[in-house]
Amino acid sequence: MDQDLRITAEPVDNHRCKFVVSQPLHAAGVRRFASAAEAKGSPLAEAIFAIPAGGVTEVIVSGNIVTVVKDNPAPWQAVGKAVGAAIRAAAASGAPAVAAKAAPAAGTVDDDALYERVARLFDEEVNPMVARHGGRVELIDVQDAVVMLRMGGGCQGCGMADVTLRQGIEGMLAQHIPEVRGIVDITDHTSGANPYFQASKK
Amino acid sequence: MPRLLLLLPSTTYRTTAFVEAARRIGADLSVASERPSTLEATNPAGLLTLDFQHPDRAAAEAHAFARQHPIDAVVGVDDDSAVVAAAVAERLGLKGNPPPAAVAARDKHRQRQLLAAAQVPVPGFALHRLDEDPRELAQQVVYPCVLKPLRLSASRGVIRADNPTAFIAAHARLSSIIAGCDTEFLVEEFVPGYEVALEGLLVNRRLHVLALFDKPDPLDGPFFEETIYVTPSQVPAGLQTSIAQCAERAARSLGLVEGPVHAELRYNERGPWLIELAARPIGGRCSAVLRFGDGVSLEELILRHALGMPIPSLAREALAAGVMMIPIPGAGVLQEVRGVAEAKSVPLVEDVQITAHPGERLVPFPEGSRYPGFIFAHGPTPGAVEAALRESHRRLSFVLTP
Repeated sequence: MDQDLRITAEPVDNHRCKFVVSQPLHAAGVRRFASAAEAKGSPLAEAIFAIPAGGVTEVIVSGNIVTVVKDNPAPWQAVGKAVGAAIRAAAASGAPAVAAKAAPAAGTVDDDALYERVARLFDEEVNPMVARHGGRVELIDVQDAVVMLRMGGGCQGCGMADVTLRQGIEGMLAQHIPEVRGIVDITDHTSGANPYFQASKK
Repeated sequence: MPRLLLLLPSTTYRTTAFVEAARRIGADLSVASERPSTLEATNPAGLLTLDFQHPDRAAAEAHAFARQHPIDAVVGVDDDSAVVAAAVAERLGLKGNPPPAAVAARDKHRQRQLLAAAQVPVPGFALHRLDEDPRELAQQVVYPCVLKPLRLSASRGVIRADNPTAFIAAHARLSSIIAGCDTEFLVEEFVPGYEVALEGLLVNRRLHVLALFDKPDPLDGPFFEETIYVTPSQVPAGLQTSIAQCAERAARSLGLVEGPVHAELRYNERGPWLIELAARPIGGRCSAVLRFGDGVSLEELILRHALGMPIPSLAREALAAGVMMIPIPGAGVLQEVRGVAEAKSVPLVEDVQITAHPGERLVPFPEGSRYPGFIFAHGPTPGAVEAALRESHRRLSFVLTP
């Protein structure tokens, strides 16, 4: 086992958590698994779906990030440890953590491909701009061509977050990735500790 | 699609409600703020910066923008942006209030002068300079009186004084609040009575009353922190008519002709009194409690009116509705709010929104004015709604550190 492997859990809420790993697990794009059956042949995803009482419903592996979705509302402490163990085991095995992806059927929306393009747009264009106000925008998922994102830093709780989202990010997505059908902001704006623009008037 | 220019100050609570309303009606939206968005360069038709401190300059900037992106309507959302909207509307020939009327609604002294001249019942008032000797002033005024800033909102800085000692103390507090931003203030007669808030829409000078809210908690001072608004009002029907007529006379006296109006009135044995009238919708997140026709929001009504689009209905829904501006629990740094789930679980309560964030310093009235959150409820009767709001609030606890 790689003794230097570091894993940081970043819960989005009690149903969704991102695990950021200190080394890439799958360099060839995004793999999404919506069931244990789909995970067959991908050891990391198989192990996460097999966590006892985990209630795991989705696993997304992209580079050094593993996103796990579960349907039970319990906090992440217990399941998170098991996910961490699965990641360490997969990294230590030396085998590919997930299998390469088959080509999508013609005419279907390829959310994984969209995820990669949206992630690149966020990394290369959106985040350098919002960083000027201490903000960041994190891609959480793409489902049926709908982008799920979370705003952080100065964007979280900012009085102008909706303007950034609807007048800025949405327009950039429409221009660069017109296949995207919508945006869902899952940010808990009430928890923003350092919003750039603080709503202050009655 | 028609293009709407929405003037959104960067510190407003109303961004989401107005942006969503614009999307629902299918308008092409241009958002102007007084500070630039970091994404402005990516959407030059949808994001711009205007000088809200100088309405004429903002109007010139909007005029230049409109050459590239023709604008069909302009809407401000608060006291300051309503003045800018009036200047832009005049410059571009759009529907809106005349700029002098918008300025009069914004300036409490000018407003009282015009209303008094038109014989609209307003409290007796006098304008004073901050550098006048408060001890001398304290001997001249009639008690009880209210000291009031000219331009602050949400009752910030408004203090009642019942005697010369209280006046001198109130003067000192007010001076520290408005120091650097104003040199004058109002001293008003305190009008005893029951207070209501009127939400209305002016259409070609005619006031349509959208909602009349009761304020069941007495507002007798020394500070004037709002708490509960409940509608429909339980005020007798004949008196409601007098209240609406008073508000309409006030709007006409100021010269307002189009758009939202929010008015605070009191009534007593002498009839209704106009305390404040603003050419903007209700503040904070309170508008979320209002639904019209099949669920249309207040913001959608305002935008439809500005754009000349059909308005399905100006009639509020049949259910009683109420909102509580959660009282500021004390001075200190907010660490945690407990009991939110329990507060939301109270029957008839639809939502509890905590808008203060962890680490934020809460400042009580009169120096502060930012409520830590809002509770919303709908129900069969105003009494049931009020009881639900109080029970929901009782379940919340705020953890503060000094």
